[in-house]
Amino acid sequence: MLFNSLGFLYGFLPATYLAFWRVTGKAQRWMVLAIGGYVFYSFWNYKFCALMLFSTGVSYLAGLALLRWQSPRLRRWCVVVPVCADLAVLGFFKYGNFMAGNINAVTSWLGGRSSLPILDIVLPVGISFYTFHTITYVIDAYRGVITPTRNFFKYAAYVSMFPQLVAGPIVRYRQIEQDFENVDRAHETANADTGWSFFVVGLVEKVLIADTIASIIDPALARYSQLSTVDAWLVVLGFAYQVYFDFAGYSDMAVGLGHLFGFRIPQNFNSPYKSADIADMWRRWHISLSSFFRDYLYIPLGGSRGGRLLTYRNLMFTMVLCGLWHGASWIYVVFGAYQGLLLILNSMVKGTWERLPLAARRIGTFGLWVVGLAIFRSTGFPMAGAMLQRMFTWHAGTTGIVGGTVLIGMLTVAAGLAHFAPNSFEMHHRWSPGWVGAMAVLFGLGLFMLYGSRPAPYLYFQF
Amino acid sequence: MGQPTTHRPVWRLGRVIPCLLVVVFLADLVSRVPSIDPLTFRAWEAMSRNRPPGAAFEPNRRYVNARAYGDLASFGNLPAMRQYRPEVFTTDALGFRNPPHVLGGEVSAILIGDSFAVGSGVSDDETLSSRLTKITGCVVYNAGSDLGRVVPKEVLALARRLHLRNHLVMRLYAEDAAVPPMPTRRERLLWDLEARMPARLRALIGRLRGLAAVGPLQVLSGRAVKALEDDRILPNRYAGYVVRATLDNGDPMLFQASEVNNFYRRREVRLDYWQWLRDTLRPAGFDLLVVLVPSKYTVYRPFLVDQRPGPGAGADYLDRLEQDLRAAGIPVLNLTPLISAEAARDLRHDRYLYWLDDIHWNARGIALAAGAIRERWPLADAPCSTTLSRAVEKP
Repeated sequence: MLFNSLGFLYGFLPATYLAFWRVTGKAQRWMVLAIGGYVFYSFWNYKFCALMLFSTGVSYLAGLALLRWQSPRLRRWCVVVPVCADLAVLGFFKYGNFMAGNINAVTSWLGGRSSLPILDIVLPVGISFYTFHTITYVIDAYRGVITPTRNFFKYAAYVSMFPQLVAGPIVRYRQIEQDFENVDRAHETANADTGWSFFVVGLVEKVLIADTIASIIDPALARYSQLSTVDAWLVVLGFAYQVYFDFAGYSDMAVGLGHLFGFRIPQNFNSPYKSADIADMWRRWHISLSSFFRDYLYIPLGGSRGGRLLTYRNLMFTMVLCGLWHGASWIYVVFGAYQGLLLILNSMVKGTWERLPLAARRIGTFGLWVVGLAIFRSTGFPMAGAMLQRMFTWHAGTTGIVGGTVLIGMLTVAAGLAHFAPNSFEMHHRWSPGWVGAMAVLFGLGLFMLYGSRPAPYLYFQF
Repeated sequence: MGQPTTHRPVWRLGRVIPCLLVVVFLADLVSRVPSIDPLTFRAWEAMSRNRPPGAAFEPNRRYVNARAYGDLASFGNLPAMRQYRPEVFTTDALGFRNPPHVLGGEVSAILIGDSFAVGSGVSDDETLSSRLTKITGCVVYNAGSDLGRVVPKEVLALARRLHLRNHLVMRLYAEDAAVPPMPTRRERLLWDLEARMPARLRALIGRLRGLAAVGPLQVLSGRAVKALEDDRILPNRYAGYVVRATLDNGDPMLFQASEVNNFYRRREVRLDYWQWLRDTLRPAGFDLLVVLVPSKYTVYRPFLVDQRPGPGAGADYLDRLEQDLRAAGIPVLNLTPLISAEAARDLRHDRYLYWLDDIHWNARGIALAAGAIRERWPLADAPCSTTLSRAVEKP
C-alpha cells in the first residue's frame, strides 16, 4: 500500500488514526501502531510479516539480554547474533542471487565448475530499512546509548511504524524513544496542521513533480542510444530532480504522518542540491542512511583518525557498501565507488575548492552528482557507458523527447524549488488562509490524479 | 509534542485537508450510484459493471450508444483511430445477450464463447447468434460471456432453463483466448455456491461489486490524464498495449500487442479441456461443435506494409488445434482460410472483416462466419424439432 494511493487515504489511514486516538493508554497505542504496521505491511505480501516478526523478535530478545547481562563477552554475543541474523536474512533475500551468479561466473572464468542455483527470490519490500532499524537498536543498546525496552509492543511498534516502515527514514530508537514514551500524552489536534502540511508538500512533490518528470524521461531513457547530447543532459537532469522529489516527497509524507500520530520523525533531506561540496551533499542527502553508514561503519573502521590513506580507504569502503545497499548490481557498486572517489578528491582539494565562489561550488557539486546519477539510473554498464558518452561527446539534434516542452517547464520549477526554495523543515507550517486554499487545491489536484492512474511506487521501495 | 492552542483558525490544513478527503470520498461514493453509461465508450463495461455473480452481464438491460468505438483505440489512447458506430446491447433475464423474448420460445442451439461470441462492437441484430437465427430460422441462444470460463455444468444448467429442441452446443474459440484451465475444486465449490444464491442476493452482490469496481471520478480522471498523454504534451504510456500498423492500401489498423506476440510464439495445443467439455456434455445428449476464429493479426498480417520478418511460430496454432480436435472426434470448423481469403478480396475495396480500432470482428466478419457455419452445419436443413446430431456429422 502506497501513501499516494486511495486505499491508504480512504481506508488504512483513517482506520488507524481513529483506532490510535480512540485508545488512551501507552500500551494500547503501541499495540495499535504495531498491529497497524503489520496490516500495512501485509498489503504487499502478508507472508513476509513473519520475516519482520523474526527480525523484531531476535533484536528484542537481544535487548532484554543486554539489560540483564553485564559480562562483556556475553554482551558481545548479544550484538553479534542478532546483527548476523539480520544481515544473513538481508543477504539471502537481497544479495543471494547476486553472489551466486558472480561465484558461478568467476569460477567459470577460472576454468572451474560451479553451479550455485539462482533462486526465484522475491525481495521483501522495506527489508533494507527495518533491518537497519533493528541493527541500530541492538548496537545502540550495546553501546549504552539507549536503554532497551522491556515492552515487546513498544519495540514492535518502533520497528513496524508504518510511516517509516518500507522506505525509511531509518529512524533510530533514540531519536523517537521520547515520543514513544509520551505517546499517551500526545494530543490529537496539536500537530495535525503540521502533519498535514508535511503530507501535502510530500504528495505534491511526489505526484505532481516526480511522477510527471518520470512519465517523460522513462520512455526517453528506454531509447537511450538515440538521445542527442542535449536530450541526454535533459533526461539525466530530469532524473536528478525526479529521484530527489520522489524520495524527499516520501520522506515528507512520512514525517507528516508521524506528526499525525504524535511522533517527530527526523529530517531526511536538507536541501541537498544547495550543497557546496560532495561531503556536504552526503550530509544533506538521505541523512538517515548516510549517518547510519557514518556511525555504524565509517567511524568503527577508524573514520579519519588513522591518517590520510586509512581515511581514504574507509571512505571508499563505506561508499562502495552504501552503493551496494541500493541494490544487488555492479552498477551500484560503481556508483558507490564514484561517490567514494569524489569524497576522497574533495578531501584532497578542500582548500582550493573552498576558495571558489559559493555559486560555482554549488554548480560543480550538483554537476558531479548528476553525472553519478547517470550511472545510478542505468540498467547496466552498456547503458551507463552510452549515457556518459552521449553526455560528454557531441551528438547533434534538437530535443526529440516526447513532452520535451513540459520537461523543460518541470525542470525549471523543480530547479527553482530544489536550489532556491526552503525545504519542508525550513517552512514554518503555519499557513495563511490563502496558502491553505492553494495547498488544498494542489492536494485536490494530486488526489484527482490518483483517481486516474495507478499510483507510481516510490523509487526507494526497490532498495 | 506541543499542546493545542486555545484559538484555532478554521482555515487550517489540519481541518481543510481531512474535510477535503471526506468530501471527495463522499462525492465519489454518491457519483457511483447512477448509471455510468454516459461515461462509457462501448457497451461492454456498462453491461458488466453490475453483473451478478456467475452471470455474463447485468440482466434485463439495454444499452444504446450512438458513438461507440473500439477497445484498442481506447486501450492505446489513440483518439484519432476511433471508428465511431452505433451500438445497441440488450440482455435477457439470465444476463446473456439475447432479446428478452428468446427465453419464452424454443431454442435450437446454444452458442458459448468469449467476446467474439457475445458480439463485442456490434449491435444486437449483428451478433453471430442473431445472424445464425436469421439465416437458419432456428433460434440460437447467445450464451457468450467474458468470465473466462465455459464449463459444461453451467451449460447444462442453462439448457435446463431454456426450451431446447435440439441438443447442440456451439463453442466459439478465438485464437488469442487462453484455453480455460480445468476448474479447481475450490472454483467449482464457489460456482455451485453462486448458482444456489437467491436471485435477489446475487443481484445485490453484483450491484455492490459494481459500485466498488469503478466510479465516474476514476473515469473522468483517467480521461483527463489520457488527454494530457497524447504523445505531444506528455508521452502516451498506453501506446505499448497496441501495435499500430499500416495496410497495403494505406489504412492504419490497430492490433493488440499480446495478439502480435502470440503470433510469434509457439503455443502448445492441449485437448484436455475440449475432451472434458465434450465428454461431460455427451451423456446429457448434447453435441459439441467447435468454431475456431482467427485473430485479426493472423488475418491481416500478410497485408501489412511493415510486417515483422519471418514466419510466426504460433501462426499454425489454429490449424494444429483443428487437426487434433478432428483426430479426437470433435466436430470443428476452422474459419481461418475462409476469413483470410475474404479479407484479401475485401481489402481491394477498402472493406474489412474486423474493426480497424478493435480486437473483434465486425458485422461483415460475423455474417461471413455465420454463412460458413450454416454451410457446414445446416441447421435449417433439418427441422428444428429434431436432434442435429446427424446434421453435425454431415461432411
